[in-house]
Amino acid sequence: MSVPSEKSLPSEKSASSPIRVWDLGVRLFHWSLLLAVTAAALTGFFGSPDSLWIHLIAGIAIAYLLLFRVVWGFSGSTFARFRTFIFAPSVMVARVKDIISGRHVRYLGHNPLGGAMVFALIGVLILILITGTVVLGGSIKQGPLAFITTYSAGGLVKEIHQIFAFLLVGLIALHLVGVIYESIIGKEKLVQAMVTGDKPALPAVALPPLARARPVLALAIVGIVGLAGAYATVSFSSRPGLGVPVAALDPTYQKECGACHFAYHPSMGTKVLWSGIMAHLDQHFGEDASLPEATRTQLVAYLTENSSEHWDTRIAHVLAKANPDDPLRFTATRFWTRMHHDIPESVFKSKAVGFKGACNACHSDAKTGLFAPQNIEIPEGARL
Amino acid sequence: MNIRFMAGLALAALIPVLAYAAAAQKPVLDAYAVAAKAENTGFSGFSAERGKVFFLAKHDASSETPSCTTCHTTDPTKAGQTRAGKDIAPMAVSKTPDRYTDAEKTEKWFLRNCQSVLGRACTAQEKGDFITFMASL
Repeated sequence: MSVPSEKSLPSEKSASSPIRVWDLGVRLFHWSLLLAVTAAALTGFFGSPDSLWIHLIAGIAIAYLLLFRVVWGFSGSTFARFRTFIFAPSVMVARVKDIISGRHVRYLGHNPLGGAMVFALIGVLILILITGTVVLGGSIKQGPLAFITTYSAGGLVKEIHQIFAFLLVGLIALHLVGVIYESIIGKEKLVQAMVTGDKPALPAVALPPLARARPVLALAIVGIVGLAGAYATVSFSSRPGLGVPVAALDPTYQKECGACHFAYHPSMGTKVLWSGIMAHLDQHFGEDASLPEATRTQLVAYLTENSSEHWDTRIAHVLAKANPDDPLRFTATRFWTRMHHDIPESVFKSKAVGFKGACNACHSDAKTGLFAPQNIEIPEGARL
Repeated sequence: MNIRFMAGLALAALIPVLAYAAAAQKPVLDAYAVAAKAENTGFSGFSAERGKVFFLAKHDASSETPSCTTCHTTDPTKAGQTRAGKDIAPMAVSKTPDRYTDAEKTEKWFLRNCQSVLGRACTAQEKGDFITFMASL
């Protein structure tokens, strides 16, 4: 992408010809941001685990768009620059009074309230990005903050992330109200101006000191900062998540328990659950699964030393809340029921899955105990 | 070389393999024979036919696992599936040659599955007949 510098400054044009107010950078930024925020909002408010990846990509896109916009606020053409739309609070109050009294004062670039809206939107978006990264790190142990964020912090910050998301929706609504007001009362063609970049010069308005766009400089800064940010993100993301088990399953456990069923990760059960299951192997969910005492003792030690109490993953937290009526069955927990309620019984009974406890049939990372939302896929044959 | 000679050669090569298969199960079978003699002085060897009847029989100890065939299917040369969805390698020695070669493992599964299906431990006679049947396939 190249952002051409302004071919001519407004002052060089005759008073009657249109003035290039929004340069290509501002226009591309505006519509790209609309697209990215729409994708992020739709997947955030109405999404499922399947669409999380879209939410994350939209978030990354917003981060880069904001980076560009902040740089462009110092290096873009006149009306892209922050200094042309930073107004004193008293000017904003005056603008409100003008609106109330029905007096329309024309601004070529952002008016005092529109300018404040730009800063508010950028600010709230940055807060949404930061809180979202914390949620990603804490709740599902992914991204650059996973190595440092607890599950409980992720849950708490998720509430804040949602509050900011609603605040953003409110700001966008206000932004649209402003555009509609300017279009009707001020007779401005604002949407058209954000497409073509031009606004009519008349009636004459005071122009701020004019500035030339420096697109090469801007893109160089965005490129360098963006690459450094990407490198840091990838490098921090590759660190093991806080409280995430990394060791492979004990081979004896894998062999003995995995002979009949998926070898559930020890982090999926509490100490109480594992002790309860291992104490009655002769009546193991309707079958006899007895083990030689030495093997049984060895596996009890392994399971209780790696039980959910030792980990900070989502699964370790949610499955720890057992169903008192059926405390030893993962699939009886409220969390399991809630997460699988829309999956037809026929999927579980299909040859490809077998039964409800075959986690790995759909969760490709089940054996690690991570159960990432992106790693869910119902096998081909099970949907028939 | 003609095709008949090739086939003959292939068959000849199979003989030691089959002999090995039978030999590999011998120590486990011998131990069950000793135990069977201790259980019943009239013990007169194992029978593949009795093993087959035992394998296919329905029992009423458990409605979930009424027969060996619940998980192993009626064809021991085919793979079965546990009730928890895991594949079980075929029980027939010709398909899974290392079956009934590890006494400890064999005993572990007889202990579990006899309890699950019959609601009791199996006799040495039953175990020996079962293995003899599986080795005959």
